[in-house]
Amino acid sequence: MEEYRQAIILTCVGLYMVMCIWVGLWAMRRTKSAGDFFVAGRGLGPIVVSLAVFSSTLSGFGFVGGPGLVYATGLSSIWMAVCSALGYATGFYLISKRIRMVAEVRDTMSLPDVVFARYGSNAARLLTAGTILLGVLGYLATQILAMALVLQSILSATEALADISLIACVVVSSAVLIFYCVTGGILASVYTDLVQGIVMIVSGALVVVTAASVFDGGFSEVSAILLQRDGEDIMPFGTLGTMASLSWFFLFGLGLAGQPHVATKMMMNRKLSDNRIIMPVAVLGYVVAAMLWISVGVVMRALVLGDVAMPLGAPDEAAPAFLTTYAHPLLAGIVFAGLFAAIMSTADGFLNIGAAAIIHDIPKAIRGRSLDNELFWARTATIGLSVLSAGFALYSFYGSNALVAILGAFGWGTFAAALVPVVVIGLNWKQASARAAIVAIIASLTINLGVQLFGVSIPYAISPGFLAMLTSLILFIGVSLLEKTKPLPKDIDRIMDL
Amino acid sequence: MKAIHLAFVFLLAIAGITVFVLISEPPTGATGVAHDTIAGMKLGGDGAARLATIGRTPFYFQLGVIGFAATLLYMGVAERRRDGALRVAILTMTAVALFIWYMLYSGYEDYLATGETDVVFGFPVPTNWMFWGIWGSFAIFDLFYVVAFRRYFLPKEDEAEFAALVAELKADEGQH
Repeated sequence: MEEYRQAIILTCVGLYMVMCIWVGLWAMRRTKSAGDFFVAGRGLGPIVVSLAVFSSTLSGFGFVGGPGLVYATGLSSIWMAVCSALGYATGFYLISKRIRMVAEVRDTMSLPDVVFARYGSNAARLLTAGTILLGVLGYLATQILAMALVLQSILSATEALADISLIACVVVSSAVLIFYCVTGGILASVYTDLVQGIVMIVSGALVVVTAASVFDGGFSEVSAILLQRDGEDIMPFGTLGTMASLSWFFLFGLGLAGQPHVATKMMMNRKLSDNRIIMPVAVLGYVVAAMLWISVGVVMRALVLGDVAMPLGAPDEAAPAFLTTYAHPLLAGIVFAGLFAAIMSTADGFLNIGAAAIIHDIPKAIRGRSLDNELFWARTATIGLSVLSAGFALYSFYGSNALVAILGAFGWGTFAAALVPVVVIGLNWKQASARAAIVAIIASLTINLGVQLFGVSIPYAISPGFLAMLTSLILFIGVSLLEKTKPLPKDIDRIMDL
Repeated sequence: MKAIHLAFVFLLAIAGITVFVLISEPPTGATGVAHDTIAGMKLGGDGAARLATIGRTPFYFQLGVIGFAATLLYMGVAERRRDGALRVAILTMTAVALFIWYMLYSGYEDYLATGETDVVFGFPVPTNWMFWGIWGSFAIFDLFYVVAFRRYFLPKEDEAEFAALVAELKADEGQH
């Protein structure tokens, strides 16, 4: 079977892409309005929503960047994964019910709509939409670049396509993404997320078993090698140390509920009581899929430090190198499809919320109403955003421009710092004010952008996103406490009592 | 004291600890040292030396984070549903999270002092506390959400009240 390795991998990836296109066509027939396009008419079942929530959370970063980080720095980055139970608890305790209720009574289509409903402030709505658009542009460009690089690594291993260019890979992978997002909107996105989530769970589970069998002594031998060669890397805080790890725990654990592509999916379930099923399925799905992150990273590090394998050219090669050398060809095929699944499941969510920001939220904040014929413009904006991000990714790659990297790094921290106070606390505390929301968003953007643009180095590798989020939380609560409580609209007031 | 005030106190404590860390002089290799020959790989080096200027500060930092997280989760239950049983449940789950954090950190400190650790289930003991303990300590909160869903998170009366609100709004819309 070994001689068919490349053919098997290509077949798995090809089948996966065909499935995405088929789902796009299927969903197109069910997408008749902007509401269908952006929030699937709030009619999705619990399993679909739970897998969409978890697969959107664990992006290509978890499947490609995660093992690379463990290879490079030991277990420091695992704090981003072990906080997932806290992340989902925060999301479901604090926002899933209220965001779904607000969506129903106000017919909201996006997170900025919810922010407007809660605060009655167009400035807060505009800032939320602007933050989302800024984060989406960077995140999407890095996802498209990652997708194209993975595709190039697969295709260039074949004789016929050995010299395939990165541009061609960007075009092919973006075309599939654009097709199903434009035709089927969020419906295609969540149903592909369903398949993508299953592929990621299967990949995570099978890869752990494979990783455990690379050394005769299993993970105990891996730990013994690492303890002998370094020690700190296999201890809880990795090579980056305690403060870096704990600041990530704060940012990723408490910041998950502020991720707009995750929060938006909490508006889409058919029944409020479905949350009781959605949460545990999402938690378990994430933990199984994230095992790939840990197991591949530690095994590749032990192989290289133990002089069993040659050093990698770059840490991000950890997952592809592991799959190419140690995984059964069929497993490699499934996991490579899983890599695309992880990247696309996040990218499609970003495309959707980015398009909503352009055609719905920003016009509403500026002129009081969204564009006419929203469905047409939603599809147009989706294409435009994808093409812009793909161009942005290529410009960054060939021009060695740091802007995409800056915006990409800016993503999670920006969303968490700007939106956690405004959405997570704001939906659970009546005294929270519009002014506090505006101050918190502006402060978080200033800190995040300032640190990235001026290349500020923070002692102990403390995450800049953590500093921004801590500051915005303190400002948000502090400013609100200083102000007099203003009465809320009746419907929102009653929802916040429930 | 209201829950939001407690959350604010925890945030200020976390901020105070963070400022202390930021103004402490980081020892050489505080965030690891580059490997001599392997590109892109870092080694941890002397873990105890890395904590020389900040001591046990990370331990106290995480106590604040756990306290803040628990307070925030408590705020997720509607005010009129917060009863004594809920407070006992949240306090118990928080105590479990604090205990696990103590076991993890003290295990790590023992390793730094002796250079030795047992390997259980394939990983060093403090690492197991991180993998399963830290994740598990908040998975208990997740489990509580499922078990106490109808009592604290979406009681049937609240569901009915919300349905009544939607019906009212629809009727208003119809009139206009």
